[in-house]
Amino acid sequence: MDSGVVVDFAHLGVTYANGVVALSDLSLTIAADQAVCVVGPSGCGKTTLLRVLAGLERATHGGVQLSRPATLAMVFQQGLLFPWLSVADNISYGLMTRGATPPQCRAAAREWCERMGLQRFIDAYPHQLSGGMQQRVGLARALAVNPDVLLLDEPFAALDAQTRVLMQELLVDLRRQGLCRSLLLVTHAIDEALLVGDRVVVLSARPGRIIADVTPQVSHGQSFDEIRAQPAFMQAFTTIWQLIRHEVEAQLREEVTL
Amino acid sequence: MTQSRWLTWLSPLLLLVLWEVAVQLNLLNRVFIPPPSEVMVALTKALRDGSMQHDVLVSSQRIVLGFVIGAVPGTLLGIWSGLNRTVLALVRPLATMLYPVPKIALLPLVIVVLGIGEVSKVATVAVSVFLMVVIHTIGGVLQIDQRYFEAARVFGANQRTIFRTVALPASLPAIVEGWKLAMGFALTLIVGVEFVGANDGIGYRIWQSYELYAIADMMAAVCVIAGLGWVVTVVLDEVARLLVPWRYTTVKESRMSVVRTWWGAVRPWSYTAAIVPVLLGAAIAAQQVGLNWWLLILALIGSIAIQGGTNLMNDYYDYRKGTDTPAVKGTGGALLRGDLTPTQIFWAGITAFAIGAAIGLYLVSVTGPFIFWLGLCSVAVGYFYTAGPFALAYVGLGEIAVFIFMGPVMVLGSYFLQIPTVAWPAVWVSLPVAFVVAAILHANNLRDIDTDRINNKRTLATIFGRDGARIEYYILVGGTFVSQWVLVALGVAPWPTLVTLAMLPLAWKLMGIAGREVDPAALQPVLRQTAMLHMRFGLLYVLGWVIALWV
Ligand SMILES: Nc1ncnc2c1ncn2[C@@H]1O[C@H](COP(=O)(O)OP(=O)(O)O)[C@@H](O)[C@H]1O
Ligand SMILES: [Mg+2]
Repeated sequence: MDSGVVVDFAHLGVTYANGVVALSDLSLTIAADQAVCVVGPSGCGKTTLLRVLAGLERATHGGVQLSRPATLAMVFQQGLLFPWLSVADNISYGLMTRGATPPQCRAAAREWCERMGLQRFIDAYPHQLSGGMQQRVGLARALAVNPDVLLLDEPFAALDAQTRVLMQELLVDLRRQGLCRSLLLVTHAIDEALLVGDRVVVLSARPGRIIADVTPQVSHGQSFDEIRAQPAFMQAFTTIWQLIRHEVEAQLREEVTL
Repeated sequence: MTQSRWLTWLSPLLLLVLWEVAVQLNLLNRVFIPPPSEVMVALTKALRDGSMQHDVLVSSQRIVLGFVIGAVPGTLLGIWSGLNRTVLALVRPLATMLYPVPKIALLPLVIVVLGIGEVSKVATVAVSVFLMVVIHTIGGVLQIDQRYFEAARVFGANQRTIFRTVALPASLPAIVEGWKLAMGFALTLIVGVEFVGANDGIGYRIWQSYELYAIADMMAAVCVIAGLGWVVTVVLDEVARLLVPWRYTTVKESRMSVVRTWWGAVRPWSYTAAIVPVLLGAAIAAQQVGLNWWLLILALIGSIAIQGGTNLMNDYYDYRKGTDTPAVKGTGGALLRGDLTPTQIFWAGITAFAIGAAIGLYLVSVTGPFIFWLGLCSVAVGYFYTAGPFALAYVGLGEIAVFIFMGPVMVLGSYFLQIPTVAWPAVWVSLPVAFVVAAILHANNLRDIDTDRINNKRTLATIFGRDGARIEYYILVGGTFVSQWVLVALGVAPWPTLVTLAMLPLAWKLMGIAGREVDPAALQPVLRQTAMLHMRFGLLYVLGWVIALWV
């Protein structure tokens, strides 16, 4: 394995017990400090891909390898904060399981609350927070363990449009501050993939295969609105959309004939 | 209090009144349906001869014992079954099968196996509690969203951590719900169990009254078991709030539960001056006779209620005058933070006084007029303490009034409840406590010496001046210890009371600060810690008397 690679999916196939083939023969590598975004139609196996990497799902053939013992952390689609833990305890959960003392946990929680604008809510319970605030806690919980690879499964899909943009900006900003190294984000939103990713991988309809691997030539370091206005952005968007549209339409035809 | 709150009380009250009137007008036959007043009389009688307390105690013991014996293994087995498929397959069918069997139907079987004694009663309760708790706990564990387990695993939790941080808290709401149901069940069951083959307990009392056709006694017992049920519900609700706080926090802020708000606002544990003399009087009496716990507990509640009422009323008037700030502890602070409304405080104060008065009258009825005069004097002094033309506190008599009434008088009263004679030794023995309680008040006056002077309040501190006031503090704190040593040397107080020597360093430190500081802020801790000294010294002193019972 080449030394710059952190994650290496090799000929990964996942068939569920009920016979559904979620993924077949998918190969993908993620380099250190790279942000890879995976887009694809709904149900194409994006969540499955992340779950295999997180160790929650077994590969039926092929598999995934980490270049070295790497710390993983995950941001879940519905946040999946522990309702019985306070914001502070949720944030420091991954530290606690790794043996941090309560004062260390508290200090880390305070630091992350400050960074995420959650100071007022440090002792609140998750259900007392808005969706956006909850997902900030989810992000803080993941980043608090200082992961080598951060996995995000449609992290902002359940948020309203304005909050979603703010959260995307926050994520990019955290990355720019060097608080988040390699990143694998799966989403069905093309603009999100283009805004966050150094690299955008497009999956086909189920079983998910890679049909495109784009490095968008957009120049980051500008506001999102400016990036969206770049011709390179619009061009990449259109290309990916055409690919996915084609997949979805093919899938629909297939389902109709079935 | 809101209007609807009052309305909910109205209908039961109306029913009682109608009932009473209907019997008095002979519309109902009082032999079959005695009026509420007769039930009250029956209840008072049963409380007076102690039979009701005994029955409640016996039934409560059976319930609590049966509950613990059933609920602890039930919870553990339930959790285990929920987490382990094999155990589940073994346990669940059996529990589900036995669950619908009315447990009272098992009683004869249990009696055959275990005999008719205490064991069979507790066992019947325990078995039904066990089944109820097992079923609810299994349900609680099985309904946990599996994704929480996955999230925990992704974040590196091992099996034990997952159990502690996911399985347990996630199933806790259902577990506690099961406990509540099981407790209600236990209450119903114990009555049935005591109908047959018991010699005491609330259920026995109900059945016995039925057989003797003493309907009023029967109804009194029913009222008591209803009250018991209510208490159990309230307690378990509080347990739920403590164990499952995330279920009870509203969106705005983490609001404390009602009981906790009141508990924090009224701060009954801080009523050291109300508690220590009562305990001391009883401890001295216990040297000669067996303790009447019932009277002691009543005296404690009454004493705390009176002081609580006084504090609440003070807070109410302070609030209306606008002297408190939100940072203030106690009800004053709770008022300004909006946790409690002034009306609530006012009525709570009235209620506390009413409880205190009711207990006082009861104690008078049990032990005779001496307690009445004692109480009357105390109330008079309490009233004239800050009110009226001769406000005692403002003519330099505060320390003396407190010294006499929160020392000898209260100790004597508590002693008198146990042994109805006026015993002088009880007065001597109370002196150390009298010194230290006066020291609390004086620490306050010492702190406020300058502002009191400006406001023309005459306290001993303003009269003596700062140096004199310091000497007075030394005398009061020193007197606390010296008077006790004299008592021990004369053989009036037993030597184990010298455990109070442990408080000497604290006293020394306080005298040091009081002799040094002039700034009110620096003297504030002296006030707080003198109250602490009172409590610790007092409790140790009482402890010494208790130890003396055995050595
Ligand atoms: N545990 C499972 N058992 C059976 N089928 C599943 C399971 N999880 C997902 N699937 C199916 O596998 C396919 C891919 O799922 P998923 O990876 O969640 O897709 P995506 O995240 O891209 O929407 C879907 O058709 C889904 O219905
Ligand atoms: Mg998905």
